[in-house]
Amino acid sequence: MNAFKRDKKEEEDGGGNPFQNLEKTTVLQEARTFNDTPVNPRKCAHILTKILYLLNQGEQLGTMEATEAFFAMTKLFQSRDVVLRRLVYLGIKELSSLAEDVIIVTSSLTKDMTGKEDLYRAAAIRALCTITDGGMLAAIERYMKQAIVDRSPAVSSAALVSSLHLTNVSGDVARRWANEAQEALNSNNVMVQYHALGVLYQARKSDKHAVIKLVAKLTKTSPKSPYAACMLIRIACKLLEDVGEAMGLLSFIESCLRQKSEMVVYEAAHALVNLGRSGAREIGPAISVLQLFCVSPKPALRFAAVRTLNKVAMTHPAAVTACNLDLENLITDSNRSIATLAITTLLKTGAESSVDR
Amino acid sequence: MDGQLLEPTLYTVKGMAILDNDGNRILAKYYDKNVFPTSKEQKAFEKNLFNKTHRANAEIIMLDGLTCVYRSNVDLFFYVMGSSHENELILMSVLNCLYDSVSQILRKNVEKRAVLDSLDIVMLAMDEICDGGIILDADASSVVQRVALRTDDIPLGEQTVAQVLQSAKEQLKWSLLK
Repeated sequence: MNAFKRDKKEEEDGGGNPFQNLEKTTVLQEARTFNDTPVNPRKCAHILTKILYLLNQGEQLGTMEATEAFFAMTKLFQSRDVVLRRLVYLGIKELSSLAEDVIIVTSSLTKDMTGKEDLYRAAAIRALCTITDGGMLAAIERYMKQAIVDRSPAVSSAALVSSLHLTNVSGDVARRWANEAQEALNSNNVMVQYHALGVLYQARKSDKHAVIKLVAKLTKTSPKSPYAACMLIRIACKLLEDVGEAMGLLSFIESCLRQKSEMVVYEAAHALVNLGRSGAREIGPAISVLQLFCVSPKPALRFAAVRTLNKVAMTHPAAVTACNLDLENLITDSNRSIATLAITTLLKTGAESSVDR
Repeated sequence: MDGQLLEPTLYTVKGMAILDNDGNRILAKYYDKNVFPTSKEQKAFEKNLFNKTHRANAEIIMLDGLTCVYRSNVDLFFYVMGSSHENELILMSVLNCLYDSVSQILRKNVEKRAVLDSLDIVMLAMDEICDGGIILDADASSVVQRVALRTDDIPLGEQTVAQVLQSAKEQLKWSLLK
């Protein structure tokens, strides 16, 4: 009876999950198909997907097994199939920490990152940087600098993000590539702008004056990318702790309250109320913005607002009192986290008069 | 109060996961070694997360010191995790991108069976959205473009002129080689 039930359940799952009950050893055996010439892209892609799936499920591979699979996988570079190639990149990234001698693919990846196919280039850069060590860094430096200023946003972003990861390999990577990052900062692409700002900040964060210069320039013309704007607000907050209000940083953050993107508006409001220095007058505009968010149809926005108000209530209960009515409505919110936060906030701000309601 | 100010860093996303309707992992990725270092801890967290979220369609929850935003469809649950101090709207934008990309890849047929059938492409898409905790791209259509769907899978009407030309070129090449 029990077995029957189980069968039925599997049937309901739609003829069984093709990836269920995969055996590690069987799949690794199948990986020998990679050595066949010519490569069968569909078949190999399917086997590679199985390996990636097993790794994703938390299956442990020994060094030997991983190395063997890795070397079999390198044979797939012969195929020009786009999906297969991309899966190989993914495989390189997943196995790079488990297998030995992974630098064997350096030349293949360098070739792909400097090739013509944009779809290969960005992904190849990211794969290459995961297998790069201190010694190899010099060899790829020239290509990386070029890639950062590439006109394809995918390539540029990939190079910028990878250089941040490479900080673990060599601390001064970001500083050495700062000129290129500076150029990428002018990109029209929102993500490239964001990543470039991240690299520039990483390069300059130990030098206060350089950060001041960077922020002063950027605050004049607010970044177009909402992600970059959020990052800039965070940098400005950090700077405020050191240099005070001399640079008009506060007014920049306040001006972000009037941006179009909700993400930036919330970031600015959050920053303003959390700057330890602000008095009730400074946080007024931020509180009104958060109050508006409290009645948003989006749960995430209500959550963000009430969570922030909850924290402000500890230091400035009087300023939050204005939101009490909205908070009371949130007590019955279908999201329990929001309701709980609303109640605890009201406990700090509420007066006797509201107890009855 | 200092702890509340966010450190300026691009490392925003702590993890992303796609679970099925039993709370089992289909795909999951954790980007911070300090958050659930072993797969046992990860799966325990996923079970817990699933139990807390599969009935309440509430979009956001705080769990184990992480802010988790989520979304579900038929028999799939999509999650994006970030630190409890992270800007929730940024996490939300990543979640929306993940969901919309998968939806576009599966041609609006967002369910477990379809995800498993296109698992390779979905893996590539997750890799294009977040790289080691940094948001790489948060625009679903650009993500889908980057994962290079097999052109022969797309019905002719939805292909761009360039794609049609490309596949025609390839077919011609092969017929000449034969």
